[in-house]
Amino acid sequence: MKKPLSQSIIIASSLMLALLSGTLFADTAADITVSNAYVRATAPGQANSVAFMTLHNSSMQAYSLIDAEGQAAKAVELHTHIHENGMMKMRRINKIDLPAHGEVMLKPGGHHIMLIGLKQAAKKGDSIHLSLIFNDGSKKMLTVPVKGMTMQMGSMEHKNGGHDMHPSAPKKMDHNHMH
Amino acid sequence: MSKLNTAITVLTLGILMGWIVSTSMPTSDKPVTLPNAIAAAPTGGDFSLTSADGAFRLKDYRGKVVLIYFGYTFCSDICPTNLALMAQALNGMTENELAQVQALFVSVDPERDKVATLKKYAQHFHETMLGVTGSPTELAEIATRYGAAYRKIEGESEGGYLVDHSSNTYVIAPDGSLHTILPHATPAQEILKVTRKLLTES
Repeated sequence: MKKPLSQSIIIASSLMLALLSGTLFADTAADITVSNAYVRATAPGQANSVAFMTLHNSSMQAYSLIDAEGQAAKAVELHTHIHENGMMKMRRINKIDLPAHGEVMLKPGGHHIMLIGLKQAAKKGDSIHLSLIFNDGSKKMLTVPVKGMTMQMGSMEHKNGGHDMHPSAPKKMDHNHMH
Repeated sequence: MSKLNTAITVLTLGILMGWIVSTSMPTSDKPVTLPNAIAAAPTGGDFSLTSADGAFRLKDYRGKVVLIYFGYTFCSDICPTNLALMAQALNGMTENELAQVQALFVSVDPERDKVATLKKYAQHFHETMLGVTGSPTELAEIATRYGAAYRKIEGESEGGYLVDHSSNTYVIAPDGSLHTILPHATPAQEILKVTRKLLTES
């Protein structure tokens, strides 16, 4: 049976829309830019480390980071810290919201990407490959430098320290949980 | 006989009350030790724990300022942050000051943290820092006296259990008394200031 023209138009435009939205979604990773990313160097005996970074969402659409993956560790998870009644509680979370035109910092004492069971110690100067996975399934590949603790501490006190590509980003991260 | 009955009734009521109070506490997590948040001020005091090089006894450190941090090596952010700040404070000291200060990392996770590992771990932050641990009972007793709290959380992460913990640095005066409790992420300058003050006072 021959389909009426109007129906064909609807089907065609739906297809177009699907394609278009597909293209839009594929751009999710492109809408998110990452700066100040680093993995913290591990101390001997430390099986885990963390990746911190600032995520900028330059689009008009809200996204969320739903996972991260990498070969460097047995498991890569999104975690956060809850500072409650004097207790530090680290918890796994299933997403980190990235509001439209917003900036979210993964920082010490807050949200972070947890690298559990590192296959080898994270040494200063090394790089670790990580992929960020967004709510539409798109991925963003990152090569994240490993930074020593002193470098981070240095950058906390001297505003121009470290190898940050975006020196305008706030640096005083570690004091957020002081009461 | 009635006296005995009264005694039994009082005892039973007491036990019942205790049970009600304890069960009305949040039970979702399994506490290893959790001193009540509104417990009396921590008293501190001497303790003995184990390091890779033998026993660590706090009483052997009279005349020194001892900086104590309770944590665990699985902790990938909070503990390293505080230990690095402590190390930074130590780096800001003169050689003479440093000789009168002992930094101590107490692992509350003896199941995973062995003394040999703790030694290397602590030394990574500062060559003079010691890493110690003990039996769960010893640790619980010491943590309670210092007001340090921790509890094991199962099944949260693929990496095994997590440990909720308080994140203070305990400053022990040269006379062995618990002098100051510094909160999480206290800047190195502040740790240095408190330590120096104690050294000049003694």
